Amino acid sequence: MKIRGFRIVWFAAILSMACTTKVSEWFLLNAVPDKYILVYYHNGQHTDKVKWQNNELDNEAKVANVLFQPIQKEDVKEPYYALYYNNRLQAEYSRYDSLRTLFSSPLRREIADELMDGKLCVMLFLKTGIPEKDERRMEIIQHTISSSPFRDVITLKELDRNNWEEKHFVSMLLQVESDLKEIQEPMLFGIFGQFRALEPLLANGISPENINLMIDFLTADCSCLIKDNLPGMSILSETSWENPEPAMVNKILDDNPALLHH
Amino acid sequence: MKQDTIGYDSLEARPLPKWLTDQRDGLNYYQPEMPKMMEDHSLNIAVVSTGAIIIITLLLFTAYFIWKKRKKIK
Repeated sequence: MKIRGFRIVWFAAILSMACTTKVSEWFLLNAVPDKYILVYYHNGQHTDKVKWQNNELDNEAKVANVLFQPIQKEDVKEPYYALYYNNRLQAEYSRYDSLRTLFSSPLRREIADELMDGKLCVMLFLKTGIPEKDERRMEIIQHTISSSPFRDVITLKELDRNNWEEKHFVSMLLQVESDLKEIQEPMLFGIFGQFRALEPLLANGISPENINLMIDFLTADCSCLIKDNLPGMSILSETSWENPEPAMVNKILDDNPALLHH
Repeated sequence: MKQDTIGYDSLEARPLPKWLTDQRDGLNYYQPEMPKMMEDHSLNIAVVSTGAIIIITLLLFTAYFIWKKRKKIK
């Protein structure tokens, strides 16, 4: 009877902890990133160089959230690579060289480091390259973050959508929603957990009210409704998500219980 | 996003992300069940049943004392 009682108390304790974990922390600790699939379509003729390249890709894929899979098809005239996410074609590449920085890039490494350091999120401002559009939105973002009680646990990064070195990252961000590629407007992505990007705020949607709602979403208690219907999309990243630093947001909420919310 | 397939005519009419509208409208958290007002008959039942018990007790005692008195007279 005593063991049974102890089990019930233990289960209740775990359950109560699960319900008070904040969205950002829960995603970082529990939500394993979705896997991409990189397929190499070929017609069966392999040179030694291609074998070596595939071997390299296979090794790199082991540390990233991607599976590498060569597939032989008779009707393939020229071999090519295709990247899929949730069975949706993301991009095609005709040459091995164009896969450089596909699995990782400098900015993605910086963002992953911030998340592993226990930051609430990284807000990534994707610029259009048109100063009149970008500067106005940037001012709103900076002002809203600096007025937030969570300003110290939010990192703001900028990225130009024409940045060549980060072209794969930009491409993945623009796949978060089906119409983003056609919209030439500044966008603000909330990146949290194990590199999950929320559907962005864009153009006039980059407002203090909406930015604060993004912060509220990430600092709220993680509910089963969110766990059952994960928002956003995983970004391809070569990161080990083991042993992250404790979430910094918890200290702010412990010191200011008035900020606690659902 | 679960709302991106909805057609829209201009950028202004483009729907906001679902996570944002749910957070704004308080739908990201299970809503506590709203208590419904039920008709309360308990007071009536208590009064009627108490009255009934009193009357039955009175009747029983009356019958008992009458029966006892008659027996004494005999």
